[in-house]
Amino acid sequence: MEIESGTRAKLMYGIASSMLILGLLLNYFNLGTSNFAGFSSVGNWLIYLAFVGLMISTVIALSKKRRAVDERMEFISTKALRITFLSLFVASFIIVIIDGIKAITIPYHMFMSYLVCGLLIIYFITYKILLRFY
Amino acid sequence: MKLKTNKLKEFREKDKMTQEKLANKIGVTRQTIISIENGKYIPSLPLALKFAKIFKCKVEDLFEV
Repeated sequence: MEIESGTRAKLMYGIASSMLILGLLLNYFNLGTSNFAGFSSVGNWLIYLAFVGLMISTVIALSKKRRAVDERMEFISTKALRITFLSLFVASFIIVIIDGIKAITIPYHMFMSYLVCGLLIIYFITYKILLRFY
Repeated sequence: MKLKTNKLKEFREKDKMTQEKLANKIGVTRQTIISIENGKYIPSLPLALKFAKIFKCKVEDLFEV
């Protein structure tokens, strides 16, 4: 099911705005830890993410370039997603073994950032490779 | 799974239609048309029906499993 571009823009702005409000509320009531993911508070982190979200939404709304997406691309993206999901399991298994050999001591948010970036790279590479086969 | 019969290219050339034109008519990319013609990708039923409608033939005249 494809979301209409107008609905998608509204959804993105809505999520970003609610994150901004939540961040401001958390800061106002002084809630959360004083150090979160490299930011001085959870509220500040949420405000930062909200601004990034608002910027991305605005850039997408301003660039009216319509991308052609057909069923073959959807088919390939589904396959790429499946492979990425499978690689997550393999990566988890490898990480458990590495952690068993030598304890992983990097901060949690850095670890998650590496993992998410790694998965995005795997998805991108898989998609590009599959494009050649289908 | 592979298609036993795939006459898309034949029908397209008979109608003197370019891959680009056919892709625009169907609403897919030219790369998809190339993939179908080369037998790399099997089109879905709605897409096969669209081809049949454009070439005014039956789906089974175009594709056969």
